[in-house]
Amino acid sequence: MAIITKEKSPDRPAPLSETTPLGWLRINLFSSTFNTGLTLIMLFIVYLTISGVFAWGYLDATFVADKRRECYDNSLTGACWAGVIAWLDNIFYGRYPRDELWRVNLGGVLLVLWMAPLWMSRVKAKVLVGASVIIFYPFLAGYIFTGGDKSWFMQFMVSGAILAFIINMLNMLSGLIENTSFAKFLFKLSGQVEASDKTQRNLLYGVLFAAFIVIFAIQSSWTVTEVSWTKWGGLFLTLVISGIGIASSLPLGIVLALGRRSKLPVVRVLSTGFIEIFRSVPLITVLFMATTMFPLFMPEGFFLNKLVQGIISVVLFNACYMAEIVRAGLQAIPKGQFEGSHTIGLGYWGTMGLVIMPQALKHMIPNIVGNIIGLLKDTTLVSIIGLFDILGMLRSISKDIPWLGLHKEPLVFGAILFFIICFSMSKYSRHLESKLSAGNKR
Amino acid sequence: MSEEINTSQLVSAATSEQMIEINKMNKWYGDFHVLKDINLTVHKGERFVICGPSGSGKSTLIRCINALEEHQEGDIIVDGIKLGKNLKNLDHIRTEVGMVFQNFNLFPHLTILENLTLGPIWVRKMAKADAVETAMMYLERVKISEQANKYPGQLSGGQQQRVAIARSLCMSPKIMLFDEPTSALDPEMIKEVLDVMVELADTGMTMIVVTHEMGFAKTIADEVIFMDAGDIVERNKPEAFFGNPEHERTQQFLNQIL
Repeated sequence: MAIITKEKSPDRPAPLSETTPLGWLRINLFSSTFNTGLTLIMLFIVYLTISGVFAWGYLDATFVADKRRECYDNSLTGACWAGVIAWLDNIFYGRYPRDELWRVNLGGVLLVLWMAPLWMSRVKAKVLVGASVIIFYPFLAGYIFTGGDKSWFMQFMVSGAILAFIINMLNMLSGLIENTSFAKFLFKLSGQVEASDKTQRNLLYGVLFAAFIVIFAIQSSWTVTEVSWTKWGGLFLTLVISGIGIASSLPLGIVLALGRRSKLPVVRVLSTGFIEIFRSVPLITVLFMATTMFPLFMPEGFFLNKLVQGIISVVLFNACYMAEIVRAGLQAIPKGQFEGSHTIGLGYWGTMGLVIMPQALKHMIPNIVGNIIGLLKDTTLVSIIGLFDILGMLRSISKDIPWLGLHKEPLVFGAILFFIICFSMSKYSRHLESKLSAGNKR
Repeated sequence: MSEEINTSQLVSAATSEQMIEINKMNKWYGDFHVLKDINLTVHKGERFVICGPSGSGKSTLIRCINALEEHQEGDIIVDGIKLGKNLKNLDHIRTEVGMVFQNFNLFPHLTILENLTLGPIWVRKMAKADAVETAMMYLERVKISEQANKYPGQLSGGQQQRVAIARSLCMSPKIMLFDEPTSALDPEMIKEVLDVMVELADTGMTMIVVTHEMGFAKTIADEVIFMDAGDIVERNKPEAFFGNPEHERTQQFLNQIL
């Protein structure tokens, strides 16, 4: 063999399909007569579908009307969105008193503000932010939504929640402006940057305690009127149930999964039994059991309202699915990771919390989000035990006298709402995956 | 942590020179007898090399020393503490005994620096700044301080193994165990890892190394142990072991690999 090429081969431009959309179209859609034909037929079908939906939903649709009759007078073939529009408040808030709707909105805004720092890269102490949402927000929101007199415990938790929220906001601001955590900013303001850890800690606790006392004193004069849970409904109720379901089924699922893998036989058998039993029955059965059978086993006078029963059922049911997802994630972690962690002296909890879970949870994200989406959609089943969640509300439109028989439009509207919520969750999970895969970079 | 150790399990102070003492230790995997009546004493600063054909129980033996595997009969006493069911003792021993694996077992979700500081911060309760300082010192020593903020997946095998060694050293262990540290590496990377290990041996660290690198064994070993089918067949000074192996099976083994 001799020299094959003496000079460096010149670079040639890439084929058209790689660079221009036209080239891509030619290669992928119009490469032969047969494929061109197929493409045209498909385009025609797509056109028929979309134009039909567009004509029904927009061109021929009625948006302003007082009753269904008027929709028909306007157009026989179009959708009657007027009914949905008239019921919008009901769809979103159920029968929550119209003067008190701001409370539901406030709860939502608080949650968004509270969680916002989690998405900001400059803000520090994200773990604390996440923990404070889970620990304090439910009490604050719970009080805002239900109202009435506060027990001492509620007063305590509400004050804690307000304090946590304020600190969270200050921490967000100091993160955005000064790029430090609020604690560091505080030390800087008071000139204690160089002070020992102990002085700093005392200062921080002192400030927190003083703020807590002030807030406690102020909040004790705040009350809002009581709104019974029976008035909750619509999308609001769906989000409350699924929100609590999501927030508690994952931690509970992790506990169950660890229990199922435990070396202690009693813990293992109990966890396995619990998972298998709840996983083997349909959610509807669990809901019925919770509302009809469960009270029979309870002592006289013990009473849980239907909402709480529904929420507990949803949480327990989904925790079992979460547990199996978590277990699968744990099994994907090689044994060497456990050993590596043991050899630097980490015990069981250290190994799980610092080494195994962070890796495993990352693998589980697609499944967890899939399960969360499923949970959100499954909560519509609570309409069966008599809660007026969004599906219940959408279906009652057709029983309202002016809109009698209006089935299609509310359900289409509901489908669109669910799609928006679920699709954005799935999009977010994709984003989360790519963000967390930093460790797999090569 | 040391106050919490059950004093009844502390062996007398006279044996403090002895880092590891193994008495008549037996281990089975199900019905399979992996380790048979192993006796071994390692003193402070001694360096042992264990070699032998695969399946002879070498890895299992050193994995028993830091209780990654449980033994069924006999005693293992490490740093004055008898290995048993007591979990407190287990954690204590594991902080005192460092181990380096064939597959490195670095934590892929943490940067190199975080890998090194994890143990010191969470187990030794060191302040973060101190832990980082120590970690950088050891990274300097294994000559990869410039990689501190990369993830393990971005490093070559040899570099990963050096990180793994540094990670163990960050816990300032009294004993270092090496389980075939170079077996998963390309020939050109083996040398960089062995160099680090030779340097470590020069600092007087107590080491037990399972390896097939005979050149390395000759340089650092105080004694070489040959294992076959769960028995310690022969142990000797390296010159005698390589120059004039006594047992027939040792001769066969050496003929095959040299």
